This record gives sequence, structure tokens and C-alpha cells, in this order.
Amino acid sequence: MGTFELLLQGFGVALQPTNLMWALVGSVLGTAIGILPGIGPALTIALLLPVTTALAPTSAFIMFAGILYGAMYGGSTTSILLNTPGEAGSMMTALEGNKMARAGRGAAALATAAIGSFVAGTIATLCLTFAAPAVAELAFYFKPTDYFAITALAFCSVAVVMGTSRTRGFISLFLGIAIGVIGIDTMTGQARLTFGNMQLLRGIALTVVLVSLFAVGEILYVASRYRSTPGVMAPIKGQLWMTRQDFARSWKPWLRGTAIGFPMGALPGSGSEIPTMLSYTLERKLTRYPEEFGKGAIEGVAGPEAANNAAAAGILVPLLTLGLPTSATAAVLLAAFQNYGLQPGPFLFTSNPALIWGLIASLYVGNVMLLVLNLPLVGIWVQLLRIPRPQLYAGILVFAMIGVWGLAGSWVDLTIMLVVGLAGYVMRVYDFPIAPVLIGLILGPMAETQLRTALAAGQGNPMVLVSTPLSAILITLAVLLLALPIFLKRLRAHA
Amino acid sequence: MYFSKTLAVLAMTAALGTGAAVAQVNVMLPANPGGGWDSLGRQAFQAMNDAGIYTGGVNFTNTGGAGGTVGLAEFLGTASGQPDSLAVFGAITVGAIALNNSPINLAEFRPVARMTAEYLVIAVAADSPYNTLADLVAGIKADPGAAALGGGSAGGVDHISLALLAQAGDIPVADLNYIPQTSGAETVTAIVNGTLVAGVSGTSEFAQFAEQGRIKLLAVTSAERRPNLPDVPTFKEAGYDVEIANWRGILAAPGAPDDNYAMWVDNFTKLSQSDAWKAVLEAQGWEDYFLPGGEFGAFIAEETERQGQILKDAGLVN
Amino acid sequence: MSTDERNTTGGSRAAASTTPKPYWIGLGLMVMGAVWLYNAFGLPQGARYAAVGPGLFVTVAGGALLLLGALLMVQIWRGETFEAQDAEDADGATKMDRRAFLTALVAVALPIVTMGPLGMPFTATLSFVLVANAFGSRRWYLDLVYGAILASGSWFLFHQLGLQLGRFFPPLGV
Repeated sequence: MGTFELLLQGFGVALQPTNLMWALVGSVLGTAIGILPGIGPALTIALLLPVTTALAPTSAFIMFAGILYGAMYGGSTTSILLNTPGEAGSMMTALEGNKMARAGRGAAALATAAIGSFVAGTIATLCLTFAAPAVAELAFYFKPTDYFAITALAFCSVAVVMGTSRTRGFISLFLGIAIGVIGIDTMTGQARLTFGNMQLLRGIALTVVLVSLFAVGEILYVASRYRSTPGVMAPIKGQLWMTRQDFARSWKPWLRGTAIGFPMGALPGSGSEIPTMLSYTLERKLTRYPEEFGKGAIEGVAGPEAANNAAAAGILVPLLTLGLPTSATAAVLLAAFQNYGLQPGPFLFTSNPALIWGLIASLYVGNVMLLVLNLPLVGIWVQLLRIPRPQLYAGILVFAMIGVWGLAGSWVDLTIMLVVGLAGYVMRVYDFPIAPVLIGLILGPMAETQLRTALAAGQGNPMVLVSTPLSAILITLAVLLLALPIFLKRLRAHA
Repeated sequence: MYFSKTLAVLAMTAALGTGAAVAQVNVMLPANPGGGWDSLGRQAFQAMNDAGIYTGGVNFTNTGGAGGTVGLAEFLGTASGQPDSLAVFGAITVGAIALNNSPINLAEFRPVARMTAEYLVIAVAADSPYNTLADLVAGIKADPGAAALGGGSAGGVDHISLALLAQAGDIPVADLNYIPQTSGAETVTAIVNGTLVAGVSGTSEFAQFAEQGRIKLLAVTSAERRPNLPDVPTFKEAGYDVEIANWRGILAAPGAPDDNYAMWVDNFTKLSQSDAWKAVLEAQGWEDYFLPGGEFGAFIAEETERQGQILKDAGLVN
Repeated sequence: MSTDERNTTGGSRAAASTTPKPYWIGLGLMVMGAVWLYNAFGLPQGARYAAVGPGLFVTVAGGALLLLGALLMVQIWRGETFEAQDAEDADGATKMDRRAFLTALVAVALPIVTMGPLGMPFTATLSFVLVANAFGSRRWYLDLVYGAILASGSWFLFHQLGLQLGRFFPPLGV
């Protein structure tokens, strides 16, 4: 059966009333958390993981996909109106978007962000639709040594690129790897670093670390340095639609942003920060109005927002086809698949086409919903920002607690929440990057399994690690990345 | 105060006397939601409810990890001596206890019933030079290190089936190059991309991939050929006396009162004969593998002995 | 990006408190590394065919943390500075509010003790009041009401969805 027929069947699934409802729930939730501080898509999906017991997998993933896309839409709203990027991916949007809002062109900025997100999301979903089945076939050619090389490259890039210094990047990374080895070694059944505690045998759950590092760490940090005068919200002025000139200046950045974001999102460890930064840099170089940059150039909103959304679709490619999570959100989605006893990969496309194609089709549906939800209704969404901060952060802690306690009802998890939350606080105070911890935690066990599988199959010969063309190239790149950090520093300085 | 307590006790006794249907049963599912043990527990009670065997409340607890040993340890701690506390477990738990030096002793629990089984198949890549189990065993024997084998977790039933095969084929078990995989789908991928020479997994997981022509099924671990895989010979037919299944069953808490224990053995016996349960087996693709109470206890003891010995031979347990 | 662009939330960077030399972070990392290394020595480093065993990654993680901790201490000694990050509602440049921090910390630590015996809704309500207080809300009675509504409401919702949150209020057995 061709991709097109499969996609049509997927629409048959996605357009069922219940699934439409879950897509709407996801989109609304996603937009809300994108607008609210302190809680992102990974965290939200992690908190909702336990409901998978009560929900059919297709409905659950349709909702999760709505959250993923919705958070990207919602994040731009706060960036533009409040100049406070909730997520790394919206940081670039704030640069020009807020200037536009202050100059009374907020509506145009919001429109180019929303339409750009829609265009990028739809194109990227199209790419996903047609690339995924082909990429899935790669699973039969990729060997453990290739996977190990991918993770090694991800480790190096994330530690080098994120954060203020390489030392701090690597410290964060190895903290994640160190947490990841706790529990039973899956290959031999040996208990590692459990200190005789039965509950530690199953390891420290990603959800607990995620919730603690982000929500708890953030609450402790913001409480200690709370700025009780909230940022000035720029009023939404101007036409709620873009002028002809705005369109003319936006469509190319949308397409370029998509072209950057989609492949970058598929790469492990690049997150949404790097593609948006690249897109911003590129638009700044190509613009015919360089004098407007820094004062509210629409290209600087259109490009990064498109890149941001395309990257969100990009992370689904390696996740669905190879079972390879490239970001925290993807890792949580992977955990959701495993909760259902499903293993993302080439076989999911054949064994459960209704789920995969229903999910992909729901991405198109979700994009349309989000455009409708965000463009005309943006005024309603910003009301969310009026929730008083004390009660908002208190509420976030309540949900964090439910997420951790609902996992296994264990005081050990709650203790880990306290310890890791404190670590998250210290990391914020002393400016250690947080993303590498998660990458280490998510990809560390994978790197270990693939390394040991590769070596076992190669009977201990270390040369097996560079025995395929792909692994040789990736390992070389990883080494280069360590050797040439200056290049990347320049790139950042330029941005 | 004292009076009201007495009243409460009286009321409870009365309730118990009028039938166990009012009681609430606590069921430990020592796995995360969604897995085989989770569905066995939930489906069994659903079917019992549908068939009118037991219609009272059921309180499930999911505590996953370490082949069920984490959940069973918690069960041991909280449910000992309780009348209506049950736990799901299976063949994997037996190996996991030995492998993790778990303080759990399965003999302490009261065996209620063995319910389902899934037989295992061994497979090679579609373009593999091996066409029969004998070919494969000969290949492994020639150079065990070069023949990477895969399946589920170390010490699990997949691993044990390969160890038994090696023993039957005069290959030292400790020489096997066994590489655990995270799932049946992963095992297939590794077989197809050439990382593994052969792999083992449940029949239901492998059958679909054989249909796609990605892998060849060489043999199945059941006593007789499976109806859905008529062309796949058994290990016995291929000349290796190995029979093993990934079974799942129900335990009651250690020290559970005899009356309650007998009631649950009876309930599960009735369940195994009900149409509702047969429909569940059909829908889930599970094999009926029912064995009640005491006989199940003897079976557990036997499995503990057999798996413990093979894990020792494999060098996984001292 | 340049520093003034990054500083999006206002407040001058120059005034950012460069904390006194935090050697303890390096030391803490080294201790953690040592624990991991110590544990690794009890694990098999090799395997029959793989050449590396379950001990390898533990050794690598422990060794790396030990080295990086030492390196960090050297960098601190050489004058590495640390600037608190800016967040959506936080200003890295302001001084730490100890009382608010400790109140929030108690809110996070409280569940370890009370979640089991007193149940989720009760614990969450208390934590809610504490966090709101840490953020400067002074109408604790109102927060108590908000917290109780939110905590009980989510208990019922998630309980309905099949999440195991324990009993509503264990001391009363409900």
C-alpha cells in the first residue's frame, strides 16, 4: 500500500470524533503550557503518562502530539508580548518579536509567528509523512556501532554547544550519565549503585528527573530570586492580519526556517535552540532591511518560529522510525510507547498502522486547530498570564508531586525529587546547562547498550566501533567537535 | 467507642459470612501498565466479573522493575497474612530472583494458578545459510563467539531456552555469546541487520515478521507443532529435547488463610473453564496453560530448580 | 549572541552577583565521582565476549565526574565566574531571598514525610500554601482554600483516570 493510501486511512482514524476531541484537548493544553512559565511539553506529557492506563494508545498519542505542537505555538505568544521566552526555542522570537510589539506591530508579529508555525508544521509533517517509511527501512541497515556513534556525537555536541563553558557542559552531561547507570544492568542483571535499596533496582525514572530538574528546580530558583513586578505586557495593537508587505517579507523566512528546523530536529541533542539560532542568523544576513534588525524586523520572527515548529516535527522522525529519542520530549514519548508495550521502529509501521498513520494525520489536523486556536483567540490566551504567580507556581508543584507520587507511590521517588530539585536549583544559580543532563540520562543507557552489543557481536575488537562508513564519519565528527569548539563559539557570537 | 468497634467487627464478620463478593481484593501487578503481566491481571478479573465468578472490587497496584522482583518484594512486605491479596508473576521472575540475588523465595507464597503460556521460536535472517535447527547448532558449535545470539533480558526465558538448546547440543552453556535485546522487535531488527546470527522470542512476536519474509523460523519450543505455525518443527523433532514456555500465573500472599486461598484457587479454576476467559485467550493470542494450586506449587519448585541450574551453568549465577 | 541580547529580562548584568568562589561544587562532584568509582570496583569490568562489562559505564561516569570536579576547582581558583541564570519570573542579578527559598524547600521536602501517612490531597494542600507564601502571597487562608480545591480536584480526576495516588486521607481510611 502506498504512503498516500496509508495517510488517508490515518485521516480516517484522526477524524473520528473521540480522536478529534483528544487532539483538541492536546492543542489547548499545549498552547496553555507554552504560554505559562515553568512547564514545557516534555513535563506535561510526563505528568500525563500515567493516564495511558485509561486511554487507547491512538488517542493518547494524538493528544501528546497536540501538546508538542501546541507548546511551540504558545511559546511564541509570551516571547512576543512579554519578552520572556519560556523555552530555549522561543528565545530568538523574543528578540525581534517584542520590539515589534512595542512598536505597535504586535498583531503582525503574532500573525507571522502563528502562520509561520502553521506553514512550517504542515510542510514538516509532509516531509515526515514521506520520509518516515523510508527512514524506517534504515533500521535494518543501522548496526549497534552506528547507534553508538550517533549517541557519541550527540554527547559531544550537546556538551560543547550548550552552556557557558565546556567543563560545565560535560559536568551536566556526566551527571545525567551517572544517574542513568543506577538500577539493574539490563544486559547482565547486575545491580548498580542501588545501595541495597529494592526500589532503586528499577532505576531512576526519567519522569522524576525531568519533573525535579525543571519544575522543582525552577520553583526553588524563582522563589529565591522572585521578581514580583511582572514584565510589561505589550498591548496587542494593529491589524490582526499581516499587510501585503509583511507577507512578502515572511514567506521566504518561513520556508528557510522549515528547511533548517526539520533536519536539525531529527539530529540528537540539537534541541530547538540551535535551529532557531541558525535561522535567525541566516535571516539577518539575507535581509534587505538590515537596519530593522534589532528594532523589530519581521523576518527575525518568521524564520525562527518556522524553524522551531519544523524541529518539533523533526524529532518525530528518528523517534517513530528508529526508536531513537533526540530530545526530552521525544524521550517521554518513547516512554509512553513502552508503557503500551509498543516499540517504535520499522515494525510499528506494519504492526500498528492505525496508530502511526493516525498520529501522523492528527499532526495535520492539530496544525489547523492550533492556527484557529491561536490566531483569532490570542487575546483569550494571554489572560492566562494574569494567573497570580504565587498560586501558579504552587499549582505547578502540586502537579509535579502528583506526577512523581503517581508513578509508584514511593517515598524514594519523593526523596529523589528533593535531591534532584536542589541540584536543579544549584545548576541555575551557578549557570550549568540543564539540557545535557537529560541527554546524558536518555542517551547514556542507549549508548552503553549499543556499545556493549557492538563489542559483543564483534567479539571485543574495538575496531568494530568504526567498522561501518556511518560510524567512522560520526566518530570523526565527534572528535572534531571536541577539537574545534572555537568555530561554534564564533557562530554563537555572531548570532 | 468500644461498643461501636465491636459493632464494626460484627458487621464485617457478617459481611464475610454472606459471601466474599463484598470483599475487596488487592492485586499486585509487578510490571508497568501495558505489559503482559499487567494485561493478565486486569483481563483475568474482567473475565471473572463478566462470567459472574467474582464481582467484587479489585484494587490493582503496578510496581514494575527487575523481572517482577521489586513488586513481589513489596507484596511480601505489605500483604503477608492478608486474606485477599494476589500477585501476578511468571517464568521471568524465577530467573530474575536467582540473577538479582533477590531475597524473595517463591516457595513462601501460596500458588493459586498457572494461567497462560507463550511458546518461543528461534529465528535466523531470511538470507541466513542456516535452514534447520541442526545447521544452526552445528554453526554455533564451530565458533560460539562468532555466533551472536539474542532475545530478551539476561537470565529470562529466551536466554534459558538457548542455554537448554546448547546443553542438548553439547555446547558449553558459558560459551554462548548471548546479547540481550530490549524487545522482540529489536531482536528481529538485529537479526536482519546481521548483528545477531539467531534470535529467540515469543511466537506471536516473530510470526508476523516471518510472514513479511524478513526472518526464517527454525523451531518452536512447544511439545507439538503450533496450529498457527504448522511448518515450524519443534525442538524435539529437530533432535533437541528442549521444552519451555513463557508462563504466567497467580500467587496469593504468604500465610493467607486457608479458606480464602481455597476460594481463589476455586475462582481461577472456574475462570479457566469459562467462555469469557476463552475469549480473552483468543483475543490476546495466549495459550491456555492452566494448572491449579498445589500442582502449580510443584511446578514452580521444578522450574526454580531447572532455571537455577542452567543459570549456574551459563555462569550468570554463582 | 551578545550579552546584552541575552539579558532579556532586564536588570543590569554588571550588577550580577559574582558569587564567592564555590569550591564546594567541585568537591561535591568529586565525592559523587568517588562513590560511583567505588561502586564500579564491585562490578565485573569485563565480559566473556564483549570485552567490557557492566562496570565500564559506571567507571567512566565516576572517573569523569572526579576529573571534571577537579578541573572545575582549578578553574574556580583561576577566577572562573558564575552568574545566576535569568528565568521568566526571576532576576539572576538580585540577591537570594533565603526565607522564600527555605519555605519553598520545605514545601518540596514535606511530601517525603506526609505523603504516605496523610495522603496526597492533604500534603499537596500544605505544599501549595507554603509555595504561595514563598512567592509572597500573604492570604494563607485563601491559599488554603485554593490549594485544597486544586489538590482534591486533581486527586479525583487522576484517580478516575486510573492513577495510583493512594487513599484520599489515610488517617480516616477513606
